[in-house]
Amino acid sequence: MTDVLPSPRHAARVVGRNALVFSKLWKGALLPQFLDPLFYLLALGFGLGTYVATINGQDYRDFLAPGLIASAAMWSAAFECTYNVYFRMNETRLYDAILATPVEVQDLVAGDLTWSAIRSTIYGTVFLVVVTAFGLIHSPWAILLPPLVALGGLCMSVIAYTFTALIPRIDLYSYFFTLGITPMFLFSGIFFPFDELPGFAEVIAWFTPLYHSVEISRAMATGPGPMVLVHAAWLIAVTAALFVVPVRAVRRRLVA
Amino acid sequence: MVARSLVKSYGERVAVDGIDFEVEPATCFGFLGPNGAGKTTTMKMIYGLATVGRGELSVLGLDARTKRRQIKSRLGVVPQETNLDGQVTVLENLLVQASYFGIERQTAEARARELLDFSRLADRSAEQITSLSGGMKRRLLVARALVNEPEMVVLDEPTTGLDPQARLAVWRSLETLKRRGVTLLLTTHYMEEAARLCDRLVIMDEGSIVAEGEPGALVREHVGREVLELRVSDECDAEELVASVDGRLEGHDFTEDALMLYAPDAEELLEAIDHERYPTESALVRRATLEDVFLRLTGRSLRE
Ligand SMILES: Nc1ncnc2c1ncn2[C@@H]1O[C@H](COP(=O)(O)OP(=O)(O)O)[C@@H](O)[C@H]1O
Ligand SMILES: [Mg+2]
Repeated sequence: MTDVLPSPRHAARVVGRNALVFSKLWKGALLPQFLDPLFYLLALGFGLGTYVATINGQDYRDFLAPGLIASAAMWSAAFECTYNVYFRMNETRLYDAILATPVEVQDLVAGDLTWSAIRSTIYGTVFLVVVTAFGLIHSPWAILLPPLVALGGLCMSVIAYTFTALIPRIDLYSYFFTLGITPMFLFSGIFFPFDELPGFAEVIAWFTPLYHSVEISRAMATGPGPMVLVHAAWLIAVTAALFVVPVRAVRRRLVA
Repeated sequence: MVARSLVKSYGERVAVDGIDFEVEPATCFGFLGPNGAGKTTTMKMIYGLATVGRGELSVLGLDARTKRRQIKSRLGVVPQETNLDGQVTVLENLLVQASYFGIERQTAEARARELLDFSRLADRSAEQITSLSGGMKRRLLVARALVNEPEMVVLDEPTTGLDPQARLAVWRSLETLKRRGVTLLLTTHYMEEAARLCDRLVIMDEGSIVAEGEPGALVREHVGREVLELRVSDECDAEELVASVDGRLEGHDFTEDALMLYAPDAEELLEAIDHERYPTESALVRRATLEDVFLRLTGRSLRE
């Protein structure tokens, strides 16, 4: 167990390094990512939304906006814990340098995941502010959304990190994005509800982290019920159960 | 630092095959050997980037299997491959490194500035890593290894690929460290580097230690004082030549293109050879080196 449980002190140092790099890059290379969900909101909410006025009595824009907060976080986590981690681990060999300091593999993975969750929360929260300005948020509970967005981002991060730690070649990400992320984005209830679909659609969606993030987000935007806790518990449980996999895989890879 | 019957295998391949060595504090200890000898694998076991296979390994008096974090907090590491942080500046590389060791910001700043001076990189502190030359990157790697004021620094081929001037700069900084009482562990396949820096060294080949001692003593013991290096012509029978001067020799070796004759006085030996019968294309009289020791012990030259 001692080689799986991270030391928070050491993990925080990895978070610090990643935050430093982000602070240099966000104004430049990372800016387009902030605009991404806005385009979906404009095209679907304000374009398609003029035809599909309401969904189950709810204004379509109000229905759509919270889901896009969750997906903004998901996309951030998906990029950070795939390409960014892959490059640090395999291309620039930065992790070899970090692991030659008192930081151990489990601290490194925990630090990377924590950072990725923070980064997700930044993207999610920025978009929350945007949609609030558009008048699409109707409950003061939404102020509690950022920590819940972090939870969704963390869960997505650990899944992406696991994939990264296990793949031998970078080109395998096409499977991850085309067969994993894109369908999840389209079929997790962001754009349309499950009510009129066959029952298995929602059952499948239930096994994806984004579905739970979207449900949480929508509930907080309109006024939450107890189901929020169930969705949050799902995200926490999956994160905790999966964490050991990338730790073991990265160790096998870098400390053979 | 002590290793006993240290073994490390990757699947079927044995990278380190039962080596023993001891390193005294405040000395420079070298690992000399060709590519694939097992030097990097040995270093990685010491600084925690490879698990210890069989045998014992104690670093700074701590068990390398169980006390990795403690060992690493007191070590400095210059890896064989440059792995600086390309996403931050030269100065930030040192500050971030300090943060991994939990060194507080003010101390880190002061130490980083001092190390940039020491490495003659002060005027580069705000630049990106990509703008540094190979020699500067190496010096920054050495500086990075010193941020935590280590008791021991492990250097895996610190000068490979550098031009002579850059190499000299690295050597000078290592000599300064040695004077300050830092223990140095160094791998190299340059015998002149080993001879200049190391108090003691081991010669490794195919995972094993083939010789150990002080550089000078190793040369005297295995080769002697001087070498006559001959490039013999095709019509010359080298075996017969050796036989003709056998009484004067301490030993000999054939390499692909040369005949090495070891003797106390190579000049005198050269005169004693019957050049009518044994024509040679060129002859070189020189002092014996660690390279000759390697050739003596393994029958192969160090740089293949
Ligand atoms: N991670 C690894 N997996 C498999 N084989 C390895 C690994 N690392 C080193 N080796 C093998 O171990 C042997 C010793 O390598 P190394 O320690 O790098 O030698 P040196 O540093 O002296 O050149 C080589 O045959 C090398 O191919
Ligand atoms: Mg090596």
